[in-house]
Amino acid sequence: MNLTLTDALRDLPDDGLVTLFRLRPDLIVPVPADLSALAARAQSRISVTRAVDRLDRFHLEILDAVRLAEEPDGIAATDEVLALAAAPAEGASAAQVRAAIHHLRARALVFGPEDAMHVVPTVAEVLGPYPAGLGRPGADLAPSTAELVADPARLRRTVLSAPPAARAALERLATDGPVGTCADPDDHDSPVGWLVSRGLVVAISLTTVELPREVGLLLRRDTGPLGTLHPDPPPVATPPVDPDQADAAGTAQAMEAVRQTEALLEALASEPAPVLRTGGVGVRDLRRLARTTGLDEPVAALLLETAHAAGLVAEADADAGGDQGRAGGRHGSGAAPQTRPTGSYDAWRSAPLAERWCALAGAWLVMTRAPALVGQRNGGGRLIGALADQVEQTGAPAARRAALRALADLGPGAAPSTEELLGLLAWRTPRRADARRETTRHLRTEAAQLGVTGRGALTSYGAALLAEVTAPPEPDRDPLGVRNGADAGAVAGTAKAASVLERLLPEPVDQVLVQADLTVVVPGPPEPTLAAELELVTEPESAGGASVHRVTRDSVRRALDAGYAAEDLHALFARRARTAVPQALSYLIDDVARSHGGLRVGSAHAYLRSDDQALVTQVLADRRMAPLGLRRLAPTVLASSASTTRLLGALREAGYAPVPEDTSGAAVLVRPRGRRAPSRSAAGVVTDPFAAPRMSTPRLLGIVEDIRHGDAAARAARRVPAAVRHNGRGDGASQTHTEAMAVLQQAVRDRALVWVGYVDAHGATTSRLLRPVSIGAGYLRAEDERTDTLHTFALHRITAATRDA
Amino acid sequence: MSGGPLIVQSDRTLLLEVDHPDADECRTAIAPFAELERSPEHVHTYRLTPLGLWNARAAGHDAEQVVDALLRFSRYPVPHALLVDVAETMDRYGRLQLLHDPAHGLVLRGLDPAVLVEVTRSKRLAGMLGARIDDDTVTVHPSERGRLKQALLKLGWPADDLAGYVDGEAHPIALDTADWQLRPYQEQATEQFWAGGSGVVVLPCGAGKTLVGAAAMARASATTLILVTNTVAGRQWKRELVARTSLTADEIGEYSGERKEIRPVTIATYQVLTTRRNGAFTHLDLFGARDWGLVIYDEVHLLPAPIFRFTADLQARRRLGLTATLVREDGREGDVFSLIGPKRYDAPWRDIEAQGWIAPADCTEVRVTLTDAERMSYATAEAEDRYRLAATARTKLPVVKALVDRHADDQVLVIGGYLDQLHELGEYLDAPVVQGTTTNKRREKLFEEFRRGELSTLVLSRVGNFSIDLPEAGVMVQVSGTFGSRQEEAQRLGRVLRPKGDQRQAHFYTVVARDTVDTDYAAHRQRFLAEQGYAYSIVDADDILGPRLPTD
Repeated sequence: MNLTLTDALRDLPDDGLVTLFRLRPDLIVPVPADLSALAARAQSRISVTRAVDRLDRFHLEILDAVRLAEEPDGIAATDEVLALAAAPAEGASAAQVRAAIHHLRARALVFGPEDAMHVVPTVAEVLGPYPAGLGRPGADLAPSTAELVADPARLRRTVLSAPPAARAALERLATDGPVGTCADPDDHDSPVGWLVSRGLVVAISLTTVELPREVGLLLRRDTGPLGTLHPDPPPVATPPVDPDQADAAGTAQAMEAVRQTEALLEALASEPAPVLRTGGVGVRDLRRLARTTGLDEPVAALLLETAHAAGLVAEADADAGGDQGRAGGRHGSGAAPQTRPTGSYDAWRSAPLAERWCALAGAWLVMTRAPALVGQRNGGGRLIGALADQVEQTGAPAARRAALRALADLGPGAAPSTEELLGLLAWRTPRRADARRETTRHLRTEAAQLGVTGRGALTSYGAALLAEVTAPPEPDRDPLGVRNGADAGAVAGTAKAASVLERLLPEPVDQVLVQADLTVVVPGPPEPTLAAELELVTEPESAGGASVHRVTRDSVRRALDAGYAAEDLHALFARRARTAVPQALSYLIDDVARSHGGLRVGSAHAYLRSDDQALVTQVLADRRMAPLGLRRLAPTVLASSASTTRLLGALREAGYAPVPEDTSGAAVLVRPRGRRAPSRSAAGVVTDPFAAPRMSTPRLLGIVEDIRHGDAAARAARRVPAAVRHNGRGDGASQTHTEAMAVLQQAVRDRALVWVGYVDAHGATTSRLLRPVSIGAGYLRAEDERTDTLHTFALHRITAATRDA
Repeated sequence: MSGGPLIVQSDRTLLLEVDHPDADECRTAIAPFAELERSPEHVHTYRLTPLGLWNARAAGHDAEQVVDALLRFSRYPVPHALLVDVAETMDRYGRLQLLHDPAHGLVLRGLDPAVLVEVTRSKRLAGMLGARIDDDTVTVHPSERGRLKQALLKLGWPADDLAGYVDGEAHPIALDTADWQLRPYQEQATEQFWAGGSGVVVLPCGAGKTLVGAAAMARASATTLILVTNTVAGRQWKRELVARTSLTADEIGEYSGERKEIRPVTIATYQVLTTRRNGAFTHLDLFGARDWGLVIYDEVHLLPAPIFRFTADLQARRRLGLTATLVREDGREGDVFSLIGPKRYDAPWRDIEAQGWIAPADCTEVRVTLTDAERMSYATAEAEDRYRLAATARTKLPVVKALVDRHADDQVLVIGGYLDQLHELGEYLDAPVVQGTTTNKRREKLFEEFRRGELSTLVLSRVGNFSIDLPEAGVMVQVSGTFGSRQEEAQRLGRVLRPKGDQRQAHFYTVVARDTVDTDYAAHRQRFLAEQGYAYSIVDADDILGPRLPTD
């Protein structure tokens, strides 16, 4: 009886299916039409890969055990699996094995009744042909080996007679995988040659040999047929830190990260970084930002990337900023786009500290960027800038999640060393850990830098954030999806993490210490109104847990410019200072206030001056002069809002005798000139459209050839089947990509002619009659019979394929 | 949250709240590794620098202690990155050691082979290192001992110099403590210097650095070379040594522009050592003239650059640096660290003052309003002349006179930077002027009269900045300075801070022209003094010139 997955799924109770969907959510996106469609999807390579990738080491080992226990008809019994996995001394307990099998069945990687289990066939494709690192049975490899393995006693003798070097090679193949390479398996003097000649290994190609399953099993008789099993994750030897201390260290770092981000974005706001032609912020600009803010470059890169992911930084045209007046003057350079803080930055800045941190750390958790690449050299030897395309790394969020979740699962305060964490991850997701090694290493430093971890352990608020950000979305609560992106600065649903962090942060203070050296010390995080006051009245000098500000002449002047009076400033310091305001500060404020406004600046278009005070007064009093907006600046000087010409004209009309003067005071005498319209150019040369073109014969022949070519293509196109011709136009004849692939794959096998529709480099849809040669690595290689050339097509560009009738 | 007195800032400054009950304990805990940068009335600022951390490491403190002190006293959680960085920085000191190997002589040993490889590959060390003996030892040319330490410090791997010192020619020296005693902190400073081998002792002006030097000489009991800033300071040293030790005047030689005596204890001036003839230093032989057992550098922060070069060749002799401040205007603190030695002792000024050794000073800025004519000429002057115009305004004269009159029963020093003004002042106040061209003989005569109280007012030019000893000056009036230099300020203030017979209040007046650059420079000074923790007040000249209040 041969059970199919469809049957097995049909027999599953409803809650079994629910569990399956929960474990493999990709099966219901989109919702399959029926159970056979579900089964097909569950056996598709991509879905199985996903499911297998998420298995830990022990489950993979048990999956191998099930595959190993398969009879030739593809059926494995649980007892067989237990015998393989739980019986040997170094194996796992029977309960662990049963639990693992249960998990595999729940994931529909294994199905069927306990005594007749099937493994989904695609698993072999995904995991490779050698379950548990054992080769194929000797009978499948070579007749001589088949004979040898059929006689266990002889086999054992042959193995025992192997010289030490050959024996070492055997052991190696038995533990590290059944296939090995060697220079020349036919050289009988080499250890491998010896093994090949005895039939203990079989040469399967010119340079590779395979160890038959029976030999492998014999060599593993001490550890068990599956080798050493790993039912439990590797232990962590590094002692855990006190969770409170981890929280304290992390909180300090979190405050630091928020402060540094703010400093970085302020620096960016005062001097926006130009966007490189290849995208992103150049290394030189990054270095400048790092220097201004006193950060290390890697830290600056991390914070900039994080702020970008949190929507606090974006690219904008230089003109889009506030300085439109200036940008108008210099068109060439002004139009270049710049990276600068966004509008959400202002909202972010006014949010409480805990929320600000959650916005940053949440963005970091989910951003598909690898900031550690910034400043490295890419393949072409060029430095990679921040926010550049090369920093993109799709796998980064998953890697971060995996590592942080591993930390979280170890319990609060656990602080494994990076090597231990890598070992742990290698057990939890063996199929992915290798590719994520580098990311995980960088993640350690990034998490510490942002304060997600403290003293190497995940902080309590970091754990809360992880749980909230990576929790499965609940579509019911936001059915229209409006919440996402509504506020770009914050990642939705981080309320819990924020409240946990809030409790750990120091209390904001509203009192300061003012000292005689004109420094103002805020002994803690300032309350928002205090922060705003200090920002206006003082210059920041040092920041951290507390902040030190300095009152300078410039800062006092700035406050006066902003509308504070000297009394307001005195009152401000008196109100905020915990101790008496030092005399030096009062003097400074009074000194600056005394000279403030001593010079006055205004605008005027023209002035009128005369040594004769009476004449000046007369002009000012003249009612005909009223529209000119004259006002008296000094007894002998009037200013006007009208232009010099108008003022002169009006005065002359009123009977005065004014003379214009230049900057040095010399009179400028002008004779009136008649007005002229601007010059225009004379009519151009008229060309005769019917004159013979002045072109050479070869060029005209070329045109003729082009036309003929187009004609042939058009005729050929008429032969093109409808399915190919109409593709991409949305009518019923269109074909899915998968179908097209299937046609092409079949055509490769049959070496048949196929009409292929594809999108060319200009975005136009064309079609060709081709004979496919191979498909692989995302490309189709095919011959065009008419031109006898070999073409290569990107598969994603192919829209349709039909057999030539 | 512990609510401690210390706040650790991310820019590596430490803020210590002075009024906190644990402040004193915290100060003691952080003083070994953090440098006191400012000490105004409420919150003192310390800074963590690599040099400071290495100084602490050299004095036997480890990173654990530093981190523990920070964590214990910190009010808020300390950023993890900072703690890691502190530990890493401290760990860099002593990874390389300079040792004396019986077979190979001077060697550089790396406790961490990777570090040794890193530094041997550095271009900076080219030519300083000899053959490689084994994986972690390289021979060093003995003549390069100093330069190697300098280069290693620049590379960020300061070496621990354990190669020892030559004993030098023995010469019995003892302290003559019949009628005086070393103060506890002087004793402690000597003790710590001796234990460390070589290094710098930081004590404020007037706290008795000469006595620390004398005590160190007594410990060494060997021939000693003393380097001082000028002849007057040298004679002062000689007087003190004769009075306080078993040395007689014959045993002490003066090596200066005037005399060239080489005795068991020789006092030489920086100036004579750095004199060049035809581009060559002519007095270098002095360093080899005797087998010196101890070299004392007075006022290390003023040490001229050539002396560093000579010192690089003196690495086998014990060196003691004495100074009031490690801050050098030229930023060569690193050379002091590597060539003379790490800081061995440091006492904050205020602490010593609290012990009663230094008279507390009252700093007052007197603002004078320029006359309209003066304002006009100031307004139209070129930028480079402005300070001179403002500083030497005649309006200041009556104010200075009023101040001198106010302290008629005290010894008053008037100090300024412009000779014309000083002569005007001299005439106006009827007081003698001491300037650079005054002969040593006349100088000493005037000082002696001033000391005895026969002369109550003395006008000094910039020569008054350095080591002259005027113990009974209770009042100083400053009329002009060098653009508000901090170092000058410390020196001048030191003049009035010397211990006095009675516990009178010392006064430090600065006369400043209002609304000019003079005020800006005064702001620098004010900041400096306030940072040092001195009470600083501003008064108007009219208050001084007005009738004396009966309460004053």
